[in-house]
Amino acid sequence: MYEEPYKWVEAVGNRRQYLDEQFKQGSPVVALAYEAGILLLTVSKGTPKLYEIYDRLALGGMGHPADLEKLRFSLLEMAHVEGFNRSPSDVTGSRMVKYGIAPVIKQAFEEVFKAPFIVKILLTELGAKAGKETFLVINYDGTFDEGSHCAVLAATKAVEQDMMKLLRAEPGGRSLEQAVGVALQAWALGDRLQRQALEADTDHGRESQADSASTDLASLSAYVRETVKEKTIECAVLDRTQPGSAKYRALSPDELGRFLPKDVRASLS
Amino acid sequence: MGMQGDFFQLLKAQGYHFGASGGESHDQQFTTATTILAFKYRDGVLVAGDRRATAGNMVMYDRTDKVLEIDRHSVMAIAGVPATAYEMVRILEHSFKYYRRTQLQELSFEGKLRAVSKLLKDNVAAALAGTGAVAPIFAGYDFEQETAKIYFYDILGAEFEGVEYAVSGSGSPTIRGILHYVNTWGDQLLSAMTEEQSTVQALRLLTSAAEFDSATGGVNREANLYPVIKLITAQGIRTMPEPDLKRHFEASVARSV
Repeated sequence: MYEEPYKWVEAVGNRRQYLDEQFKQGSPVVALAYEAGILLLTVSKGTPKLYEIYDRLALGGMGHPADLEKLRFSLLEMAHVEGFNRSPSDVTGSRMVKYGIAPVIKQAFEEVFKAPFIVKILLTELGAKAGKETFLVINYDGTFDEGSHCAVLAATKAVEQDMMKLLRAEPGGRSLEQAVGVALQAWALGDRLQRQALEADTDHGRESQADSASTDLASLSAYVRETVKEKTIECAVLDRTQPGSAKYRALSPDELGRFLPKDVRASLS
Repeated sequence: MGMQGDFFQLLKAQGYHFGASGGESHDQQFTTATTILAFKYRDGVLVAGDRRATAGNMVMYDRTDKVLEIDRHSVMAIAGVPATAYEMVRILEHSFKYYRRTQLQELSFEGKLRAVSKLLKDNVAAALAGTGAVAPIFAGYDFEQETAKIYFYDILGAEFEGVEYAVSGSGSPTIRGILHYVNTWGDQLLSAMTEEQSTVQALRLLTSAAEFDSATGGVNREANLYPVIKLITAQGIRTMPEPDLKRHFEASVARSV
């Protein structure tokens, strides 16, 4: 049934539609550089979405937990075998993505008889020196982008662009506390845009979305306050100042509590 | 999936072979030319080692590090064939990290001990052939029992808990006796010693070992060469800095002879 080329193209198109649908309710992921390294932040409902991959590599994911696990394990295997056989400095995010999982994701996406990976992946790598951070984003079809300073995952490209705009507007060299604040705002912006898009879908009406893209601090904080109550703010860093070779550290609830803006802290306790 | 977080299995599945069998024994004596020691002191465990590497009568290198950190809370001190020992340390280091990252929890202290035994067991052929014998001391902080512990191994992988202290290497017979004497009739039990007292003790022990064992490197003040001393506590591992070693050595170890 897919022998004819146009049918195959159509099938891939359907698949894209199906996958886009799957991410609509996902929680966005934010990663950005701060003075001592890289911060990753998301808000989750139990299942963790941020992981340590290797000494200087961290992963954030969106999508189906089982698919994310599968890809997380292939990354872990690749990284550790390479780090052992060669050297930890040969384990780079760029190699993991380009020659490791991106081709696997692409293949699964295009094999229309099989199930695709329902995942979007963000891989961050701490460079040896400040300013040498790498951010890699892989889409469900295996396409990837490499950037510096910051990166996000969200349901659609449009939402991602709005979040990135907010992150880029902030000056560099932030402290961890500032970074947590900015990351939370970006998350709130993304999540709110996604939720409004969902509501617009279900209502079949075009609600005014003028305010949803607004980056007004007060309204974003208010949004965070009301949404995080029944969820967990998940936060991890790749911290250059950490002793030893492994630089990944998940922020404990206590530590995170200290960094959260006051009004959000109050709504959590 | 993920080989249950077992990195060593994963390596094997990829065709890696640890402990290449040494074939025929050549009746060569590969001595474990070294002195390493560990003992419990007031705040945790102290692990120390000399820095000489030898091949027969030759001194190959005088700045070897035989006390190696495997993760933030465990240390392996090595005596035996360095090539095999370093490879073991590399495997362990990756194994513990791999376990933590795949299973999202630390490997238990007992699990770490098993990993060391397993490697030694896989290495038996090489150990018996004389090409890969390793007799390490493994020390670390056990968070379940909230105490730092010491284990030592024979070359076949048998595991012994060194309750108060453990020694290994060619210089160890000398200091084993001293440790027994000090801990039985000394003014103070080893486990009651402060960090400073135990550092002095370790320096004295290694200096004694070097006195009677040519394969153990002592202190060379002209070359600013001191043993490696690491302290394991609940907070992690700390390497005693060289200036401190120098200060302790000059104040409490060196004598004018």
